[in-house]
Amino acid sequence: MFPIYKKELQSFFYTPFAYAMAMLFMLLFSLSFSTGIAKLDNSHTWAFSFTEMFYSVILYFIFLLPILTMRTFADERKNGTEVLLMTSPVSTGRIVIAKFLANITVYLFMLAGTVIFPIITAIKGEVVMSQLICAYIGIFFWGAMYIALGMLISAFTENSIIAAIIGEVVMFALLFVDDFANTPFISQYPAIKKFLYAFAAQPRFSYFSEGFIRLSDLTFFLSAIIVLLIWTYIVIEKRRWNRG
Amino acid sequence: MLFCDNKAVCYDGIKAPCFYFFNSDFSIGKEHLMITIENLTKYYGSNRAVNHISFTINDNEILGFLGPNGAGKSTTMNMIAGYLPMSDGKVTINGADVTKEPLKAKRNLGYLPEIPPVYPDMKVHEYLSFCAGLKKVPVGKRKSEIDRVMGLLKIKDVKGKLIRNLSKGYKQRVGFAQALLGDPKFLILDEPTVGLDPNQVAEVRELIKSLKKDHSVIFSSHILSEVSAVCDRVVIINKGDIRAIDTIENLEKSFTVSLVLHIKIKGSKGKAASIIEMTKGVREITAVDDEGDGVYSFTVQLEGDSDSVRDSVMAECLKNGISIIEIYTDRPNLESVFIELINRPAKKDGLRELLDEMPDESGDSDETEDEDETEEKEDE
Repeated sequence: MFPIYKKELQSFFYTPFAYAMAMLFMLLFSLSFSTGIAKLDNSHTWAFSFTEMFYSVILYFIFLLPILTMRTFADERKNGTEVLLMTSPVSTGRIVIAKFLANITVYLFMLAGTVIFPIITAIKGEVVMSQLICAYIGIFFWGAMYIALGMLISAFTENSIIAAIIGEVVMFALLFVDDFANTPFISQYPAIKKFLYAFAAQPRFSYFSEGFIRLSDLTFFLSAIIVLLIWTYIVIEKRRWNRG
Repeated sequence: MLFCDNKAVCYDGIKAPCFYFFNSDFSIGKEHLMITIENLTKYYGSNRAVNHISFTINDNEILGFLGPNGAGKSTTMNMIAGYLPMSDGKVTINGADVTKEPLKAKRNLGYLPEIPPVYPDMKVHEYLSFCAGLKKVPVGKRKSEIDRVMGLLKIKDVKGKLIRNLSKGYKQRVGFAQALLGDPKFLILDEPTVGLDPNQVAEVRELIKSLKKDHSVIFSSHILSEVSAVCDRVVIINKGDIRAIDTIENLEKSFTVSLVLHIKIKGSKGKAASIIEMTKGVREITAVDDEGDGVYSFTVQLEGDSDSVRDSVMAECLKNGISIIEIYTDRPNLESVFIELINRPAKKDGLRELLDEMPDESGDSDETEDEDETEEKEDE
């Protein structure tokens, strides 16, 4: 399993890929950061919220994370290297986990780049640490869930561009599913509203951003990750059976 | 569950070197040193690609897998290597069933698929060290192992190059090097010489021959001369059916039984015919053509050693004053054996006759029934 993890990391870090991703992410974050600062008025207490920034950052996820995950399985299939992995003494489950961990590592690298903004703030002022840490935990889990989702979509196809586009659509839909559930039309049907709400990550994240770590929210993200990874595993195995 | 899996993996990662040794020592028991393939069948939807094939690969043997394009060679190899699941049947590698104990089975296996499984954005040595890790080569041995396979395939000069920049021949050799990593007992090579230049083809053939010392090799090709140059035994396959399993000599011999002698003489037709018929080793005269001016050409069926029969026919004719204008034997070579086997419809009797290796009589007849059924369906 470790060799696959290492190989995935090499493909991210030996190429400009991971750095470009991290840079783009920082750039987008700094955009939110500078608007945050620009909004400061001349009152005695200058305050802005990092957690609010994270909300806009999540929107950028939709564009960045599918690009991160699109190649995971699609490229293996395109290069014919899936055969190599499948005929090596490594089980499919471990291949999925190794690739997931590699994607998570790049994602952590991207998140680490954004730590610079709270640091700058801390030098000139004060940062509410508890809230910030909770927000980071929340955003980490949300991203991890999207990575698992992106991997699943990548396992469906052998064209990485298609994987990215479908990933963007699905993630976009998932991001706004709670807003959709709150529309007057859906609100007429409480059952549907409740059902849609079960998939909504945003209300869960809002607890994190306010500084709460609730077990139910953690369970939501973790179970979503596990379900998506198992689904990925099933899709890969199923494709082997249906190949022809 | 995720966490559990993780732990198991780490554990395995630490134990891997010892396990590797233990495993390979353990599995070198005399009786298991082979791959057995029993009733292997593959359907793609309702389309049957491989039909109940059975054979074994013995220790230190090069087995040629010969058939035209689309015969089911790659499908069979993918199934043996555990990439494609089979619709029916069983593959056992060193006693480990590929579907039931895949990890154990795959440790003894090196596989070079039809398209070399290389990552275009990796350098050759990076790729090989990745594969060495994947195949659980102990960390301490990896460097020497990679050097060894690079030496064998003569790819040391490109080891720092990106695979995407390599020519097809080099890519093929990098893929081949990957299959040799970890010194697996069995090698499955799917058309390893495709895309190589003649010089490289000769090198690769030599390499495959030299591998025989420590490995057993299954080697597929649609090029006959290649198979006859390298392999000990040949499995001839077409449209998913095995047409023959035998050594090359036996295949040739079995078809040289029906040797044909062509002789053109000048002189008395009846006299010549009686002389020829009297000669030992002549079965019968099948045709006599009158070509005018007292020239007759005989087509004669021979049995036994064709060369000596030809010589004695010639000697008898000359002794009796019949002048020979032309004499030659029509010897079916492997090429025609191959073509005949491929084109022969897989009839029940033919299969019985050919598949000495298939012990299961009931399986044999089932197979033919199956075939009839599918043929009917196709007709519909």
